[in-house]
Amino acid sequence: MAYAYLFKYIIIGDTGVGKSCLLLQFTDKRFQPVHDLTIGVEFGARMITIDGKQIKLQIWDTAGQESFRSITRSYYRGAAGALLVYDITRRDTFNHLTTWLEDARQHSNSNMVIMLIGNKSDLESRREVKKEEGEAFAREHGLIFMETSAKTASNVEEAFINTAKEIYEKIQEGVFDINNEANGIKIGPQHATTNSTLSGSQGGQQAGGGCC
Amino acid sequence: SVPPFCFFSLSLSFFLSLSLSLSVALSFSLSLSFSLSPSLSLSSLSLSLSACMGFVISIILSLKCIYWGCVFQFLWRFRFLMYLQEYEARAGKAGSGGTSPTQPQHGRRKNLDFEPLSTTALILEDRPSNLPAKPVEEAQRHRQEYDEMVAEAKKRELKEAQRKRKEMKERFKQEDSIANAMVVWNHDILPNWDNMRNTRRVRELWWQGLPPNVRGKVWSLAIGNELNITPELYDIFLSRAKERWRSFSETGSEADDGASLADRESSLDLIKLDISRTFPPLFIFQKGGPYHDLLHSVLGAYTCYRPDVGYVQGMSFIAAVLILNLEEADAFIAFANLLNKPCQLAFFRVDHDLMLKYFAAFEVFFEENLPRLFNHFQISNLTPDLYLIDWIFTLYSKSLPLDVACRVWDVFCRDGEEFLFRTGLGILRLYEDVLLQMDFIHSAQFLTRLPEDIDSDRLFACIVAMPMLNGNKKWSQVKNGDVCTE
Repeated sequence: MAYAYLFKYIIIGDTGVGKSCLLLQFTDKRFQPVHDLTIGVEFGARMITIDGKQIKLQIWDTAGQESFRSITRSYYRGAAGALLVYDITRRDTFNHLTTWLEDARQHSNSNMVIMLIGNKSDLESRREVKKEEGEAFAREHGLIFMETSAKTASNVEEAFINTAKEIYEKIQEGVFDINNEANGIKIGPQHATTNSTLSGSQGGQQAGGGCC
Repeated sequence: SVPPFCFFSLSLSFFLSLSLSLSVALSFSLSLSFSLSPSLSLSSLSLSLSACMGFVISIILSLKCIYWGCVFQFLWRFRFLMYLQEYEARAGKAGSGGTSPTQPQHGRRKNLDFEPLSTTALILEDRPSNLPAKPVEEAQRHRQEYDEMVAEAKKRELKEAQRKRKEMKERFKQEDSIANAMVVWNHDILPNWDNMRNTRRVRELWWQGLPPNVRGKVWSLAIGNELNITPELYDIFLSRAKERWRSFSETGSEADDGASLADRESSLDLIKLDISRTFPPLFIFQKGGPYHDLLHSVLGAYTCYRPDVGYVQGMSFIAAVLILNLEEADAFIAFANLLNKPCQLAFFRVDHDLMLKYFAAFEVFFEENLPRLFNHFQISNLTPDLYLIDWIFTLYSKSLPLDVACRVWDVFCRDGEEFLFRTGLGILRLYEDVLLQMDFIHSAQFLTRLPEDIDSDRLFACIVAMPMLNGNKKWSQVKNGDVCTE
């Protein structure tokens, strides 16, 4: 399918906070109470529309365990957006945000848009982190913030789309150099291909520039 | 064809007489019981009424019996026809030559045999008498359409029956070969393990996949016990783990702010979180499931036994597969020894440099065996770590169906780490055509979530086609950097 831009996203955060569930809810609109463990990285993709333009999101869903950090660090490269997720029912996942943020800032390009997500907002009775705390952390570090529930789908669309909007604005402002692929943005094929979906997006991939 | 007819008429008369006598006996006893119970009230009217009812019932019963007699007669006729046909066939084989009267019966039998089930409910009737009759051509057309439908359904069902028969045959064959292999493994190979394990015959049998009930045994023997772990040692580490777990739940639950990330991660709490996320569709490892505590114990004991490695995600899958095939202590011994192999140690310690060496060696063989796909992946920037990490960390148990994964484990136990990477190439070969049509994101998604209907024989045929030779260099030579400079 033809698209104007392709954004690479990376989802990070402690293990078990619901990264894969957020992705599944966003791409497949369903919830799996017990999701498979993510080893290394898994992938998702979805097309969204912003300002009348088709934007393809290519999402990298990473393993959360500390041991895998050295591996997942290399996946920041070329990401235009990051979703940093914690679990509002587990304070320790909130406490680790600083290390995650340091990692993200250090290994990504400086313009990467980071969205802070407090997930599992449906579990109000087990809440350990107040919404205000999340907001304060986001304000302090210049992040966008949202509380979501992958289970009820509350705010899930918004989280992914608002991040894209922010990236799109940055492109409009000229902050992002869209010709530099390291920024995690690719320009889609100039003319819509009439081929099937697969070869169409393949064309886009190649139009975006060969290997690096 | 005289004796069968005799037999037929005899059987018919026998059944008719049987049914008649049965009906008489039944009606008699029934009328008796009917006339006896009201006789207590001493009313003559009711007595005569009951007698009358008894008579009616006896008539109905005898009618029923005649009906059943007819049914039996039909069934016997059918049996007789079959007998006749068999007789004819035998006679034909003997060379006496089939006679003309049997010909239509032969056809009829065939019809009965393959009467399509799905169409028997279709009754072709004319319109009810209160409606105008169908025109002749319409009736004809309907008849023709019906015939076509029946023919189509017959064809379909015949095909389905053939497919089922073939499937059953295949299954029986498979079960037979498993049963045979089991005998060979139990009686010939296992008692002479050291002498036989490397013989050609055993290696070939091994490649076919181990029978499930010797699988654990062979894995244990093949993995070995270099670490000299005893069941007693396992018990010691298990009780240590339980102690730590207890003290953690007493003190650590709210005061873990101060604890370092690494401490918490190695804690048994994280293991708990992951156990239910191990093979969730099987349900047996989830809380309350029969293997939940077992998996918890093995992983907990391991973190106490090897604090230098600790618990790393992916381990739960390996331990789970072992638990499914071995007793608890044996599973632990195999688990600890398996993770002590160089490749597993490199991955579970997340030794990045060593892992890169493995990936580079894999790419050498990838390019050698599948140059087209290799180039395609290079262009779309799909690096092997993106899919190999999942495959190697869980030894394929997460990405392949469990039975296929176990067969991969079988040969992995035989051939060592090289086979893990060879399997990876086999998977790429199996799906080469599909992958060549995909872009980065589709390939990456495909490889991290392989199709569930993957066929083990087809996969292994692809693996065979992947010789692990680069020039004249073997896997270990390439991996150790004799060639690779990437």
